[in-house]
Amino acid sequence: MSREDNNILAAADEFRRPPEVVMRLARMGSFHQTRLSFMRSLLRRLKKEKWRFKRNLWAIDKQGFGRAVYTVYGPERAYSLVAFSHELPDHMRSDRVIATAWDTTFALYDGVPDAADLDRLEANVPKQEAGRISDSELSLSRANRSVRLWQHVVESLAAGRQPDREQLESVGYLVRTTAVYGSGKFGAADRLAIADRPEVSGPFQAEMLSVWLTRSFSIDLVEHIAAALGGDEAVVIDPDLRRHIGVGNSTGLGMAPFLINHPALLNNWMMAREEAFARVRSLPGAESQAIEEFKREFERARDNVTHWHSQHPIQIEKLADLRADFEQMDGYIAAHTLADDHPWDRFYRWAEEHLTLEGQEQLLSLMLEPYAALVDDLTQCMDADEHQSFFIDGAMPLARLREIIESRCKWALAVDYDDASNRARFWYTSAEKLEPRVGERFEEPGADYELPLAVGYDIKRLHAALLDSEQGASIAEFLLTHPEHRHTLRRVQNLVTHPYAEIQDNLIAADMLPIDILRCKLSFFGATKFDPRSDRWVRICMYQDAPFPHEWLQVEL
Amino acid sequence: MSYRLTLVEAESCLRKAARACGLDWGIAEEAGKAARWLAAFDLPGPETMLAHLQQLPAGEYRQFIPDCSGEPWQAPGGLLCPVITGAALADRSAQMLDGHCFRLAATAWPLLLAATVGQAARCHRTVFTTAWAGVRVSCFENGLSIEGNRDDLLLERVDSVTCQQDGLSEPQQLPSTLSYAIDYDLFKVIDQLAFQTYAPATEASRAGAGAGLTDND
Repeated sequence: MSREDNNILAAADEFRRPPEVVMRLARMGSFHQTRLSFMRSLLRRLKKEKWRFKRNLWAIDKQGFGRAVYTVYGPERAYSLVAFSHELPDHMRSDRVIATAWDTTFALYDGVPDAADLDRLEANVPKQEAGRISDSELSLSRANRSVRLWQHVVESLAAGRQPDREQLESVGYLVRTTAVYGSGKFGAADRLAIADRPEVSGPFQAEMLSVWLTRSFSIDLVEHIAAALGGDEAVVIDPDLRRHIGVGNSTGLGMAPFLINHPALLNNWMMAREEAFARVRSLPGAESQAIEEFKREFERARDNVTHWHSQHPIQIEKLADLRADFEQMDGYIAAHTLADDHPWDRFYRWAEEHLTLEGQEQLLSLMLEPYAALVDDLTQCMDADEHQSFFIDGAMPLARLREIIESRCKWALAVDYDDASNRARFWYTSAEKLEPRVGERFEEPGADYELPLAVGYDIKRLHAALLDSEQGASIAEFLLTHPEHRHTLRRVQNLVTHPYAEIQDNLIAADMLPIDILRCKLSFFGATKFDPRSDRWVRICMYQDAPFPHEWLQVEL
Repeated sequence: MSYRLTLVEAESCLRKAARACGLDWGIAEEAGKAARWLAAFDLPGPETMLAHLQQLPAGEYRQFIPDCSGEPWQAPGGLLCPVITGAALADRSAQMLDGHCFRLAATAWPLLLAATVGQAARCHRTVFTTAWAGVRVSCFENGLSIEGNRDDLLLERVDSVTCQQDGLSEPQQLPSTLSYAIDYDLFKVIDQLAFQTYAPATEASRAGAGAGLTDND
């Protein structure tokens, strides 16, 4: 999607927030899930296309170990979550992506696996990164049982009691994934292999499907173990309580570079979200039905915040801000009809003046809720042809490139990189962990291995090189003698057609918070309950309160 | 022993390997794309790229950069790097679209050059044809054609190459999305080169990630 190419952007121009407002880390780190989020668009599609569901295999023993297969059948193709449950000694239990053993491991199989497939997968999937999957698999993942909740739920159900509601709601999940790999990782099918399949060609749709089915597996597993333990006395979880169980996820630095490494994709996610918001703000009035739906969602979100806990000082403060913002919004809603005179735009303009970024972004999410017909089609624009943005227009004069930087990258030029605090960090891949990390440039070795993620600094250096060059020259000529700027120049040219492609903050500053990048990405997934455990590691909940396959889809017997 | 490398892995490994061999990230990205593109047609892109990278003298790759002031293009060191030169040609796509035929002097691994220029053909939805010795390789938006003597495809060095836009026709072969089979020992060499772009652990880096907590949730 580009500004030039897409007529979806024709509407609501004056209501669109510019990149310099949106693409700031503090704001991106305050994003909430929206109805455009990938989990929600996936579930809408499955429902609309009348997908069917079947638990094709349940070979789990009394201790809860074994294998299971959950299949969803679409109009043209089927996909199966292949799940393995293992015994995990306590000393091997780790919250880190670099762990080597887990309670449960999964692959999303392209189709319905036969016994030979299952044997092959059982020899590899439990090993995760150390194993190898094939072109027949679309994702690879693992999850550990929640130490806070699992045993409590097993014991309660086995004894014929429902688990404690408060405890269940505040944790929000029985298992927590630590990585969900897709797109050609560890042997999995290439993204191109599914590019022409509308059901999984959107961003992370295969991964989101895998997590949705993982949620069902986690609940089936806990009930199975409780039944084995409690016999006739055991009960299953009440449907109402079940809904509050999602899937947890722990995400660290490894995920952060993704948004920086995929500028065209980031642009399209952001533009879709901003366009949706602009469309709603451009409405001259609101129907009573929309107002009622907004108010219902408002109350739900307010309730969600009461169950959203964190021990991290940054998030504690943000949650307090958000709760205060809800009170303020409540006052606004009581005092306004929300019916006339561009009500949503007026509400948002008021929010810009009175609410923190947490509250402003929460309001954006809420305002989209009543407008399925107006905004849901934008999910079709959230994929990207990244090959097109790889191209460098070598015929462009240097003067034009300078102009682009000076008009679109003021945020990069404004930083004084001679100040050590503005170059304090560097991004690298750790040889030990094989994962991206952030180092302290002036305190530890390793800056020689820096990844090209210091975007602002690199743009400023490119700009300086341009000033030293002959302005009439072309980019093709410039790059012959300055190959070191090729990567950054590609990014800068891309900004002409992808204005939301770059995070407009210094990604190597001493005070940069990687969790802001993580939260932005996870909000697009549809995650809730962001709970940072440090400035570079966040715990979240996925699919909490979402329907289950057996409720949402027709069940095959 | 053969090893199945996904196309994503082929691109990523060769990009890092190119970086480890001294190429700047922007050029290394071109190397990764070219290797992947060839692998998608079951052509030995990863192996050829490795062979080329191993011949690049560390820190002296500027000896391979073309002098474009006249034609044929030549490298100061006598042999053009197919990736750097391919990128330079891709940057001059507009001239090829205007009908210009570029002529190059001695060039290493011309198949890699064809694939690097080919990335620009894909962007312009046109056909760029690279010809050397007895073979012509045409890159389409989503396909590839090879005409002439296929034995010349993997020549390590040729004395002249031409590159130009070609008439639109149908490609002979479409890319596959399936993984690519590579000799395991060669893969290990590529992987080890890629590994050189990773920073060794330090006490500070070990303390830096994760919550520093046990799995208590």
